[in-house]
Amino acid sequence: MVAIIGVGIIPFGQHLERSIVAMAMEATLAALKDANIPKGTIGACYFANAFGGMLFGDTTIGQNLTAAMGIRKIPVVNVENACTSGSSAYYLARHAILAGECEVALVVGSEKMCVPDFGLINSGATELDTLLGMVVPAGFALRAQRHMYEYGTTVEQMAAVTIKSRAHAALNPYAQFRKIETLEQVLNAPMIADPFTRSQCCPIADGAAALILASDNFAAKYNRAVTIKSSVLTSGFYDNQADITHWDTDYYTANLAYEKAGLGADDIDLVECHDAFTFSEILHYEALGLCPEGQGGQFVASGQASLGGKTPVNVSGGLLSRGHPIAATGIAQIVELVTQLRHEAGDRQVGNCRTALAQCMGGDKMGDAKSCTVTILSK
Amino acid sequence: MSVQNTIPLVYDNILTSGPDFHLQGGYCPDCDRYYFPIKESCMECLGSVDKADLGKRGIVYSVTTIRTRPPLGLPQPYSVAYVDLENVPLRVFSLMDPSEAGQYCIGQTVELKVAPLGLNNNKQVCLRPYFRSISSPQETDRMS
Ligand SMILES: [Zn+2]
Repeated sequence: MVAIIGVGIIPFGQHLERSIVAMAMEATLAALKDANIPKGTIGACYFANAFGGMLFGDTTIGQNLTAAMGIRKIPVVNVENACTSGSSAYYLARHAILAGECEVALVVGSEKMCVPDFGLINSGATELDTLLGMVVPAGFALRAQRHMYEYGTTVEQMAAVTIKSRAHAALNPYAQFRKIETLEQVLNAPMIADPFTRSQCCPIADGAAALILASDNFAAKYNRAVTIKSSVLTSGFYDNQADITHWDTDYYTANLAYEKAGLGADDIDLVECHDAFTFSEILHYEALGLCPEGQGGQFVASGQASLGGKTPVNVSGGLLSRGHPIAATGIAQIVELVTQLRHEAGDRQVGNCRTALAQCMGGDKMGDAKSCTVTILSK
Repeated sequence: MSVQNTIPLVYDNILTSGPDFHLQGGYCPDCDRYYFPIKESCMECLGSVDKADLGKRGIVYSVTTIRTRPPLGLPQPYSVAYVDLENVPLRVFSLMDPSEAGQYCIGQTVELKVAPLGLNNNKQVCLRPYFRSISSPQETDRMS
């Protein structure tokens, strides 16, 4: 097995004066310090960034980071996999250690998105769907509308996701939106795509997060090490006429991660999931088996996803409140799980937290996600 | 001269020839599978795909309205939907008639129209296919 022995993160938000590499270096230094290892211990680097090529013309940024830190000769892999860029880099780093290629690997995700006219993310400028007006909020809004139609999910239940998210984020110094929001504020915010108001869409952000992964052998001397029980990466089903209220890719990936870990939904004490929109989180409750299909709205509205509830979800604030610097997100989720599993989360600590799960999804192709990751960790 | 001769279509090979436009897609006879838009090869058997007339009517499977600043010179607001086509087992993502934005419901029957709407990636005005209503929703009671 592979363990996580160090984590580092910088507050997400606007870092207008800072480069992708500068943010990555700060997160990496924090992770090295947390693991208490010198930089020379790192045997491989998996670097995630999604938009540097498009926004700044910067590619193979991972080596810009390692060169700047005087980390030489090791394999450096640059990973772009949409919103799962960071969690895919983590998936690959774990494999390098499992394969015996290295004892210690650095995983880092860094993203700069706060530039003028960033606009709405689409799924590729020349795709027919994009040319017909498909933007990311629309894809999720279409799922939400169908879920409302089939299961009676309400706008108030969706708003409950934002209310919970802000309440959690108020306890997380690394989150972007830390002010409590009321039901009226959520529902009266400007409408983006029916039924999502602005408060129900995650903000863009600049940010970085890093992990130090190590072999069991290396990690044996760390009593704060967290074990990776499973880590899976999948791609879409791409079925036409699929039931969009039951996301096969999401269910399949979750079940695969449970199976590989030998665990089930009842074993999970804490979840970080890809709440790009309020309703996405509701769909993920169902796919992860936290509640029966169709009942995700009731699950959050009844407080079961809140700190102190049955299965707290996105106690960090999630994408909605922590912010969503694309390639840093998947790693930030794991940073939160590790912090919680070590019982070092302060005011937002989940009591008796022993097993935790992170889920991330990315891209859009034929109405499906292009990638999905789930990892299960335990202490 | 038809309007299509002077204004570019937003994407090639998605319409049968006018004036009564139908969606054009692909069909793999070996797999009995339809595609929209047409693909170079069938994603199941990787064989060649024939052109297929997909008709012009469908039923709204889900619909939303984008109210924020629109991309590609589209009107604000504009509605988009997944439409289940009437003649073939295919669900297509589609723009809806901007004059009816925000008024569509799941279950409603809609019909294809083609007209200049928004800009293409070269910032030129272009023709886009979109659906508009031809009936009131069949199942409005379930929406309330
Ligand atoms: Zn075929």
